[in-house]
Amino acid sequence: MTREELKSYVEGHFDGKLKSLDTGRYDPIFEIQPSDLITVAKALRDDESLKMDFLCNLGAVDTCEKLEVVYSVASTTKNLRLDFKFSLPYDNPEVDSIKEVWPGIDWYEREIWELYGINVRNHGNLKQFLLPDDWDQGNPMRKDWDAPDFIRMPEV
Amino acid sequence: MPDLRTQEYMVNMGPHHPSTHGVCRLILTMDGEKVVDIEPVIGYLHRSLEKVCENRTYAQCIPIMDRFEYVTSMSTNQVFSLAAERLAEIEVPERAEYLRVIMLELNRIASHLLFYGTTAMDCGALTPFLYGLRERELIIDLFEMTCGQRLTYNYIWVGGVSKDIPPEFEPKCREAIKIIGEKLDDYQGLLNENPIWLARMKDVGILDPDLAIAWGVSGPVLRASGVKYDLRKDDPYSIYDKFDFDIPTLEAGDNFDRYLLRIEEIKQSIRIIEQALDGLPEGPIRGKVKANFKPPEGEVYCRIENSRGEMGVYIRSDGSKKPLRVKMRGGSFNQLQVLPEIVRGKGYYIADLVAIFATLDIILPEVDR
Amino acid sequence: MGLIKKLPVYSEKIPGGGLVTTSVETVLHFSQACSLWYLLFGTACCAIELMCTGASRYDFDRLGMIFRASPRQSDLIIAAGTITKKMAPRLRKLYDQMAEPRYVIAMGGCTIKGGPFYYDSYAVEKGIDHIVPVDIYIPGCPPRPESLLEGCIHLQEKIKKQKLSDWQEK
Repeated sequence: MTREELKSYVEGHFDGKLKSLDTGRYDPIFEIQPSDLITVAKALRDDESLKMDFLCNLGAVDTCEKLEVVYSVASTTKNLRLDFKFSLPYDNPEVDSIKEVWPGIDWYEREIWELYGINVRNHGNLKQFLLPDDWDQGNPMRKDWDAPDFIRMPEV
Repeated sequence: MPDLRTQEYMVNMGPHHPSTHGVCRLILTMDGEKVVDIEPVIGYLHRSLEKVCENRTYAQCIPIMDRFEYVTSMSTNQVFSLAAERLAEIEVPERAEYLRVIMLELNRIASHLLFYGTTAMDCGALTPFLYGLRERELIIDLFEMTCGQRLTYNYIWVGGVSKDIPPEFEPKCREAIKIIGEKLDDYQGLLNENPIWLARMKDVGILDPDLAIAWGVSGPVLRASGVKYDLRKDDPYSIYDKFDFDIPTLEAGDNFDRYLLRIEEIKQSIRIIEQALDGLPEGPIRGKVKANFKPPEGEVYCRIENSRGEMGVYIRSDGSKKPLRVKMRGGSFNQLQVLPEIVRGKGYYIADLVAIFATLDIILPEVDR
Repeated sequence: MGLIKKLPVYSEKIPGGGLVTTSVETVLHFSQACSLWYLLFGTACCAIELMCTGASRYDFDRLGMIFRASPRQSDLIIAAGTITKKMAPRLRKLYDQMAEPRYVIAMGGCTIKGGPFYYDSYAVEKGIDHIVPVDIYIPGCPPRPESLLEGCIHLQEKIKKQKLSDWQEK
């Protein structure tokens, strides 16, 4: 399946829950609704011609207006790869945990909780792990984050 | 005799521990001498590379990427350059692609030699450490004569490579891979039939293939469990589709297979380097790229196969000369996540745990970033 | 080999049959300097160069330096690699567990002033010299094994120049 075929296949199936975006460069990227996350994840994994069984990456993005969460998944048997993402508001962002679909997402979800302050529902093990034990300065990966000893590199 | 009461207790291992290859802390729940459960605690090397990259231009990000995975920093250069090239649609000259493949494969050999040495040292054998690092120096010499650095190379740039190889590179390179190819038998002769080594390795730390895929384990660890998945063949980047090489796989998924598979991978890397040296074309080494180029708005997730599995980088551009977001993904992150699954309920001793940790080949900067 | 063969000849020539006079200070500091056991404390990139220095080509052992896994057996910490805010209390703890006399080598840019992570990083300690006292700074990112050897030789010279009275004042 080529990338174009993959794009049209995904758009045609799954009840139109994945809408193709043109911001992605190499592999196709889709937008979904945050409430559809678990359904979409399960459908992608269980679909016979996709078999997206491998979770590559989960990253959050702060665009200064809203937060975005991007999931990158791949198939080890069909050699396919795609991304899907959705936007979240700046205040009280929340996503569902999809540990039951891809268990390997566990630490990635902890990471976005810790560094971006995105609450993960039903995760069960949200504990600080990257930042120091006595950290009390908030979520440092947010663009508006600042601290007294944080020095920005001057423009050259 | 009254009934003996037993209870589980906790042992702290790390963050400063010689066998954790850096600064990883494991909280062990023990039942007598047997490990019941592990909880890894990471973050002791969390240097916020992702935040640092957000305030650098694309060219300035590459030296930061070097520190993301310093044992194979050529591949960190490659994955970032590849992502930026796909984002900005930059062409790479053919000679540069050949040089990249040579460097990537040399670096893979160097990494596996380091693995060979440190794993054996963790199991109590010092000689393999001296042997492995002796041959690694031959490769480091090649890097040094090309880009002047021994460890953090900053060699692969967006649109090409930073410098051409000197004329004496090719004969030295052929000599080095010939020596390493011959020494591989010595390496295996030291360990493969050693009863102590076999007791520590055979049937210890078995990783089930389904479990491995579900937890996102990749690279040699996945292939030692019998899953033939290598991005050099399955999602070819650069010019890997031009070369003839095999993807070795083994079935058992225990410590011994993970060790043996890496030795096999060194042989395949030598094959690739020989073909690349034979076919190395003349021509420019860098495309036309401005120092502060501005890719159009967009996003890309790009992945390559490095010696520890899938290394990926996600770049989001807002059209300015600096990336809006750089997210790094290293194979070790998932390999460390799966460690409790391997150990839980199997009744391994702490000594087995050290051997399992070593053969998963986890290095901590990839985990903590 | 030449020197070793000639050595008995030289010692025979000392009048009176091999008596050497020296001060306790010199012997003590000479033996201290020539048997520096270092703590295996590698955190990041510099740890790989530290390993290379300990391995075949550069051979740390010829300076009398052997790695130890426990701080209680070591004389020297080579802080090889970035020290983050989370790691800093652990470094102090390890230093406190060492017995006097103890020395610290700061290896690499990160331990001197944060290195490449001085700007824009929220997690890196900007220099270890406000956690532990540092004797020798070795710049580089990472420093070559030769620079590390040079740094260790400088530390040996520093130890040899010490006076016993320095310790009494402490």
